[in-house]
Amino acid sequence: MALVEKQLDPLFLARSYLRRRKFDSCVEICSKMLEKNPYDQCAWFMKAKALTEQVYVDEVEADTDGIAEMLMDDNSIAQVARPGTSFKKPGTSGQGTSTSQGIRPMSQSGRPVSGFVRPSTQSGRPGTMEQAIKTPRTAHTARPVTSASGRFVRLGTASMLSEPDGPFINPSQLNLAKYADRPGLNKVLFDYLFYHENDIKNSLELAALATQSSKYEDWWWKQQLGKCYYRLGLYRDAEKQFQSALKQQPTVDNYLYLAKVFVKLDQPLAALDLFEKGMEVFPGEVSLIIGSARVHEGLGDLDSSVKFYKKVFQYDASSVEAIACIGTHNFYSDMPEIALRSFRRLLQMGVVNTELYNNIGLCCFYAQQYDMSLTCFERAINLANKENVADVWYNIGHIAVGLGDSNLAYQAFQMALISDNNHAEAYNNLAVLEMRKGKVEQARAYFLSAITINQELYEAHYNLAILSEGQGDLNTSFKEVRKSLEAFAEHVDSKNLLAQLRQYFTLL
Amino acid sequence: MLAPLFTLKLKQKILPRRVTIGKFDGVNPNLACATAAGKVFIHNPFSGSQMSQSATSMSRLVTSEDLVPDLYYLNIGQQISAMGAGCLGADTKDVLFVGSQTHFLAYDVHNNSDLFYRECPDGVNTIAHGYIADCNVPLVFAGGNCSISGFAEDGEDKFWTVTGDNVCSLALLDYNQDNVNELVVGSEDYEIRVFHSDEMIAEITETESVTCLAAMNGSKFGYALANGTVGVYDRNNRFWRIKSKNQAVSIFSYDLNGDGVDELITGWSSGKLDARSSHNGEVVFKDNFASAVAGIVEGDYRRDGTKQLITCSVDGEVRGYSPANKDTSHNLMDNDQEQDLIRELSQRKNNLLLELKNYSENTKAGKEVGGLKLSATTDVDGQHMGIIPANTQLQTSLQVTTETESMPSHVQLLINTTNSTVIKAVMIFAEGIFNGESHVVHPPTNGITSALSVPIFPPKDVPIDLHVKTFVGHKNSSQYHVFELSRQLPRFTLYVQAPPNTQQPRSFVSFPVNERINRVVMWINQNFLLDEEVCAIAADTELDLRLMALRTGCPIFLHMVPGTITIHCEDIDLVGDIVQALAASLNIENMSSTANFPEFIEKLKEVLVKVDEFHNVRQKLTAEMADHSNLIRSLVVRAEDARLMNDMNSMKQSYLKLYDLNRDLVNGYNIRCNNHSELLACLKIVNQGIQKAGRLRVGRPKTQVVTACRNAIKQGDVEKLFKIIECGGA
Repeated sequence: MALVEKQLDPLFLARSYLRRRKFDSCVEICSKMLEKNPYDQCAWFMKAKALTEQVYVDEVEADTDGIAEMLMDDNSIAQVARPGTSFKKPGTSGQGTSTSQGIRPMSQSGRPVSGFVRPSTQSGRPGTMEQAIKTPRTAHTARPVTSASGRFVRLGTASMLSEPDGPFINPSQLNLAKYADRPGLNKVLFDYLFYHENDIKNSLELAALATQSSKYEDWWWKQQLGKCYYRLGLYRDAEKQFQSALKQQPTVDNYLYLAKVFVKLDQPLAALDLFEKGMEVFPGEVSLIIGSARVHEGLGDLDSSVKFYKKVFQYDASSVEAIACIGTHNFYSDMPEIALRSFRRLLQMGVVNTELYNNIGLCCFYAQQYDMSLTCFERAINLANKENVADVWYNIGHIAVGLGDSNLAYQAFQMALISDNNHAEAYNNLAVLEMRKGKVEQARAYFLSAITINQELYEAHYNLAILSEGQGDLNTSFKEVRKSLEAFAEHVDSKNLLAQLRQYFTLL
Repeated sequence: MLAPLFTLKLKQKILPRRVTIGKFDGVNPNLACATAAGKVFIHNPFSGSQMSQSATSMSRLVTSEDLVPDLYYLNIGQQISAMGAGCLGADTKDVLFVGSQTHFLAYDVHNNSDLFYRECPDGVNTIAHGYIADCNVPLVFAGGNCSISGFAEDGEDKFWTVTGDNVCSLALLDYNQDNVNELVVGSEDYEIRVFHSDEMIAEITETESVTCLAAMNGSKFGYALANGTVGVYDRNNRFWRIKSKNQAVSIFSYDLNGDGVDELITGWSSGKLDARSSHNGEVVFKDNFASAVAGIVEGDYRRDGTKQLITCSVDGEVRGYSPANKDTSHNLMDNDQEQDLIRELSQRKNNLLLELKNYSENTKAGKEVGGLKLSATTDVDGQHMGIIPANTQLQTSLQVTTETESMPSHVQLLINTTNSTVIKAVMIFAEGIFNGESHVVHPPTNGITSALSVPIFPPKDVPIDLHVKTFVGHKNSSQYHVFELSRQLPRFTLYVQAPPNTQQPRSFVSFPVNERINRVVMWINQNFLLDEEVCAIAADTELDLRLMALRTGCPIFLHMVPGTITIHCEDIDLVGDIVQALAASLNIENMSSTANFPEFIEKLKEVLVKVDEFHNVRQKLTAEMADHSNLIRSLVVRAEDARLMNDMNSMKQSYLKLYDLNRDLVNGYNIRCNNHSELLACLKIVNQGIQKAGRLRVGRPKTQVVTACRNAIKQGDVEKLFKIIECGGA
């Protein structure tokens, strides 16, 4: 083999390596060639390309909302939009009962649990900065301070690796205007600057110059300009560039980018409209349909969301995201058997992880296949890592409660808390068990810790209210039931309790 | 007295002239006003019932007295410069339009989504909405820096044209009663221009920047100027105007007294609100706000099927008025009209009596003079009474005076009497040449003679009517006779024959004219104030006129052979003026021309290069600023984080960094501001350049040139632009 490689022309070999995605070898050969002739454009091109490919992450999916973006959000126009038209206030219009918190639990950020973890599903908006800063410490939803400082810094660290003879390209010494005029080199240089160096300012300048030199007729550069603006948080400018690129040449990418901008601007209906238009141009394009489903889900309109996920099946029967989301939806719509089918399909497709086994276990339990259920949980624990083992234990506890085995439940919840002492739901359930045992003070302490960990957990508030009411501490009870209603306005039991308390107070 | 139907206190500052109303959900009218910090608030008077349901659980928390619950805010994030609302496309919902100095946003309030968001480097000073000729969809017009754009539903600019200066006001009305709307544009160069589609069909010169325009019934429209003048035009006839020391903030057309004819409602900066009859300007209704009026709109704010007049003040007070019934329409005014009438009549009686007394004494004195021959005493007496000989006449003449050391060149109005009587004072009324509208000259008592000269400095080349009132009498009489006369100043006054050795300027424009030379000669004699009459050389075959503009000092050579006129002059403005005036008087409807203005083109080229530079710099600065603002956010969060952990040292450090960064940001902002204002100035020059190139043509070729120039600039094709300026658009 090595002999063959020695005989081959190094340029050809490098090309072959690049095509076979053996980037390290490709870079090595190109570096040698460049040593001989620093002006070898072909080698330069391939080296830049290989280095970029090493760290490339699809820009459409790479997105994280930092704390700062969330709290100091000045991009959305409407501050209090009509329900159902904004991500900030999803689904208060009460379309369908499937969004009710009583049926489908909320994630840590106060949003219905989705079947698929994806960028920016964590984007519930906490009320205060204090809360926002505390949440990532306590839960496993680590959120960067800003999007610029978060994932992208990590992506861009490729540039910080020490290279034996200095960096390959030094952006500050580049004459960008010169490169912008070379159609063969400017695109690869841009990709290198954008993905490898993570140097958005220079990328922007290069893109702007290149757009000019192409007489504003190259949609690709417009799209890149838009990407740069998006990274910088200049969403309006990004929108302009994407729109303009879209006018010139509709591409799927472009629709997705533009929809991302609308999501950032908190204009979900505009995003949906755009997906609709995109689907006219590219009928059956799965990423557009999934995008639309995600937006619907973000708005809390799960029925429409599921409609779109089902549409995905017509074109791509093995879309993991669609299967997972439909499975989750079926599960929470009281159809565990059907959900089981979805999850089994995932298993067949080769997705093997804790979460999946955990879900299958739950489905089995609700479908009354108890023998399968515990085996699944066993597997889930075997596969689990530090971060998700607590959830598995919590679910085991949940099943134990359902089976009436309160001893096992007690132990399972304790196990959950050992692996993650910030598991608010486990605290809450533990407290309920303590309450049943009659250890009121212990129960109260557990409730309080559940509440401090997660303010949004209406169950803990309500339970504490009941407990306090039973003890005659009406004042605490009133306070807590109010908080419970703040988190979940339609909770009937809380409302009843509140009415009852009011009556007491008027009697007094 | 008409009382307001309702009064609301919104407790929000409202920026003047940035108030609009629209049915954003397709049914209910909502008030939308711009408020401080780049925000718009929307007041929905009908949300109460819906709100109360969702708010039941909260109702104890909110004390409703302090809060106006029906307001909600839109965050625009830029200084808002204009607002509007209206329907675009088939939807019945109104769209909110918000203009800032750099962008134009059309926003669907109901669905919380943009229709379009466009960059407007010319800025948006005013917004109008409606249909115009040649376009079957409603457009929204944004008037900015020398340009007007009309956007359709998808943000495409279906309409674009240039005007002479910054656009301050826009209105759509059927000016020539042809059942399609014309666009009426008021601008900072004191002009009201009327566009039919993109062709200018009329131009009215006013005396100050035209700040507001309001369409009224038929072809009538109201206007307001920056100096506090308000009036009504019907086409180009002015019905009336009044002037106040306050400024009219907003004018609106509304039938307040229920007589079927709209009144002009004016909101003043002093907080006064009045309604004047459109016909004669008589005040039919008055009201007062505690603070300046911010805007006037109409809408069905009570959902009773009628449209109310809704007035907002800058302090957020909103009052609604509905039209009076027929029978109450006579006493909208507070005070008693009869008493007013009596007062007025007695005043007039007094005046008449006084006049009569004067006359009788005069005739008495006259008799004495006639009967007793002249004697010293009676003469003195006669002089005292101010009698002047019956054949006294005033002679006036206009003369162009070239520049001297003490005075720049000007037109001299010479007034002298035909006998020994003297001129005590002269009052001249004329629009647009004096500060204010009138000018009074009264020589010191020892300098009174029978002749007086008044220097006039016409700032622009427009024909002006001078209304001169002269006080004529004897040297020491206490009463004077008033001679009224009017004199027209021709359009081109400050021009004289050029000295014989003047070089012919390089720049020229030439265009075909199928007229006899005599007519052009006549036109020149009518419109120029020259010492001697111009006449054609060699009997009707050639005309050669060499003039010198005194204002700028540049020579103008007008050369005509049958069929073609060539004008050589470096000043493209002036050439445009001459071409337009000449074409108007010769009734030329369409005319194209070839132009060659090397200096002008050179300057334009420089400006375009500069514009490019500014754009690039701006982009860099924007990227830098975005970078900084990301850092600032992360620092704020870090500082807060440190505070929560009681780590005061790192908190302090974070805030120190924040302070430095903030200072940088402010500096960067200042640079950006400067850059922007310079860019704006350059763009203005470019737009004016296009306008000037357009003015060298008439009718269709003119609009073609403007559109073609615009396209060339859009494509960044400078060479093409210059070609168009030279040869026309076709």
